Amino acid sequence: MIEVLNLTKKYGNNVGINNISFKITQGEIVGLLGPNGAGKSTMMNLLTGYISKTSGKIMINGQNLTDNLYEIRFKIGYLPEQTPLYEELRVDEYLNFVYSFKKTSLSRQKHLEDICNRTGITDIRKRLIRNLSKGYKQRVGLAQALMGNPEILMLDEPTIGLDPLQIIEIRNMIKKLSCTVILSSHILSEVQEICERVIVINEGSIIADNNISQLQADDQTGLQIRVMGDREEVLQQLSALDGVLEIECVGEIEPGSLDYTLHCDRDVRKEIFNRLAEITSPALMIKPIDLTLEQVFIKLTKTK
Amino acid sequence: MGAVYRKDLLLFFTSPIGYIFIGAFLFIMNLYFYLGNVERGVSDLSGLFSVMQIVIMFLVPLLTMRSFSEEYRQKTDQLLFTGPIPVWQVVLAKFLAVMSVIVIALLITLIWVVIILKYGILNTPSVIGMYIALFFAVTAFIAMGIFTSCLTSSQIIAAILSFTLFFGIFILDSASASLNTFWVKAVISRLSLFSRFDVFRRGLFSLGDLLYYLLFTSTFLLLTIHEIARKND
Repeated sequence: MIEVLNLTKKYGNNVGINNISFKITQGEIVGLLGPNGAGKSTMMNLLTGYISKTSGKIMINGQNLTDNLYEIRFKIGYLPEQTPLYEELRVDEYLNFVYSFKKTSLSRQKHLEDICNRTGITDIRKRLIRNLSKGYKQRVGLAQALMGNPEILMLDEPTIGLDPLQIIEIRNMIKKLSCTVILSSHILSEVQEICERVIVINEGSIIADNNISQLQADDQTGLQIRVMGDREEVLQQLSALDGVLEIECVGEIEPGSLDYTLHCDRDVRKEIFNRLAEITSPALMIKPIDLTLEQVFIKLTKTK
Repeated sequence: MGAVYRKDLLLFFTSPIGYIFIGAFLFIMNLYFYLGNVERGVSDLSGLFSVMQIVIMFLVPLLTMRSFSEEYRQKTDQLLFTGPIPVWQVVLAKFLAVMSVIVIALLITLIWVVIILKYGILNTPSVIGMYIALFFAVTAFIAMGIFTSCLTSSQIIAAILSFTLFFGIFILDSASASLNTFWVKAVISRLSLFSRFDVFRRGLFSLGDLLYYLLFTSTFLLLTIHEIARKND
C-alpha cells in the first residue's frame, strides 16, 4: 500500500507539490492526471525517491520511504517520461545490466525470457537499442521497469510519441499487469481505459480523487430535460432559475414534448422539477448529461 | 555497484571512445619511447613517465566527459538514481570503470619494461615507484574529470571544463618555478600534483605524496556525490 501524507515539494519559493495526501491500495491501477506542469512527474519522482521532499511523509507497505529508500526501491519499477535507455547497447546487454543493477534474485535466464515475452521484445533481443523504433524502445523501457517483478509500477506518460497501434499494444500490456500501477498521463482516454481511479492534480494540489465513473456521476451541472409545454414559457422560466447558466432547446425527440439541454453551476434538478410543476409543464425526463472524462477534467482544472 | 561498473566499461568499448583513448595514448607514448629511448639508446624511463603523466592528463577528459553528462542527456540518471544502490556507489563504479581503461593502457606500456630489461639496464625500484605514482596521479585526474561531468549534460562542456581545470593546474605548476614571491611559490608547490610526481621520478618513494593524491581524489569524488545529491534535492 502507498500512503502519502501532507507531501510538499518546494523549489525555492515555487511550490511543485502542495500538501498532498492520498492512499493507494495493493493491486489498484491509479491514473495521475493533470495538465502539463501540474506536478505529475514531480509526484512520480518523489514517490521513487529520485528527488527529495520538502516536507510530509511517503509510506510504502508501512515503511517510510526516506528511512528505507534502497530497500523500498527493490519493490518499485519506474518508467520515466523519457525512457532511460543506453542507445549503444543491445537490448540483451541493457536488460542484463538492469537485472544485475536491480539485484534481482529470480533466475536470470527465465526471468529475462518471461519479461521479453510479456513486452513482446523476444525477437529484438540482439538488436542495438539505437536502431529500434520508438514503440520498441518504449517496450524495452517497460521491460526495464518490470525487472524483478516489482510490487509497484510507476509509468510516466508511457504511450507518448507512439502510433495508435503501439498505444493499444502498450495499454493492453499494462492492463494485464497484476501489480499496483500508478500511471501518469494527460491522455484522458488512456486513463479512462486503463485505470479504475484517477487522482487529478493541478498546480501541485489534488483537485479530485475518485473512480472515473463516480467523477463523471458527481458532475450534475449538465442536464438534459424533456418537457411537455410551451417552448417559450419553458425557456423563460428555466433560464430565470438561480443556478442555470445556459438553456437550449434541442428539438422534439418524443412526440408532444421538447428536449432541452441546460448548463448549470450546481445541481438544480429539484428547482427545475418544482418550477415546471408550477407552470403545469410536466417534466418527462431530467437526466444528467454524462460528461466525458475530458469534460470533467477541463471543468476541474478550470474551476479549481 | 558491479553492474554499473560493467555497464560503463562495456559502453567504453561499444563506442569508439575506449579505442580512441588507448590508441591515441599508445601512439604518442610509443613514438616518444622510440625517439627518446630506443633511437638514442637510453634506458632511463623517467622522462617518458613525466610525458606520460601529461599525455594521460590531456586524454582523461575523453573518458570522463561522458560519465554523468551522457547519463543526464539520455535521462538514464533516472534509472541509476531510482535503483537500489546509493549515489556514492554509482560514482565509485564510474570512477573504477575509467580507471580500468587507463590501467589497460598502462599494462600495455609494460612492454617497454621488457624491452629495457632485455636490451638495457632497468632501474626497477624507480620504474615501480613511477608506475605507482602515475596510478595515483591518474586517480586525481579522473576524479576531477568525473566532477566536471556531473556539472553538465553536455559532454563537450564537461570535456572543456576538465581541460581548463587540468591546463590551469599545469600552467600554475610550470609557472611556480619562476615565481619570486616565496610564500606563493611554497603554497603552489605544496598543492601541486606534478611536483609530487617528480619525487617518484627521481627514484624516491613518498607515502605522504601518495596520500596527497588520495586526498585530492577523495575530495573530488565527494564533491561529485554532493553535487548529484544537490541536483536531486
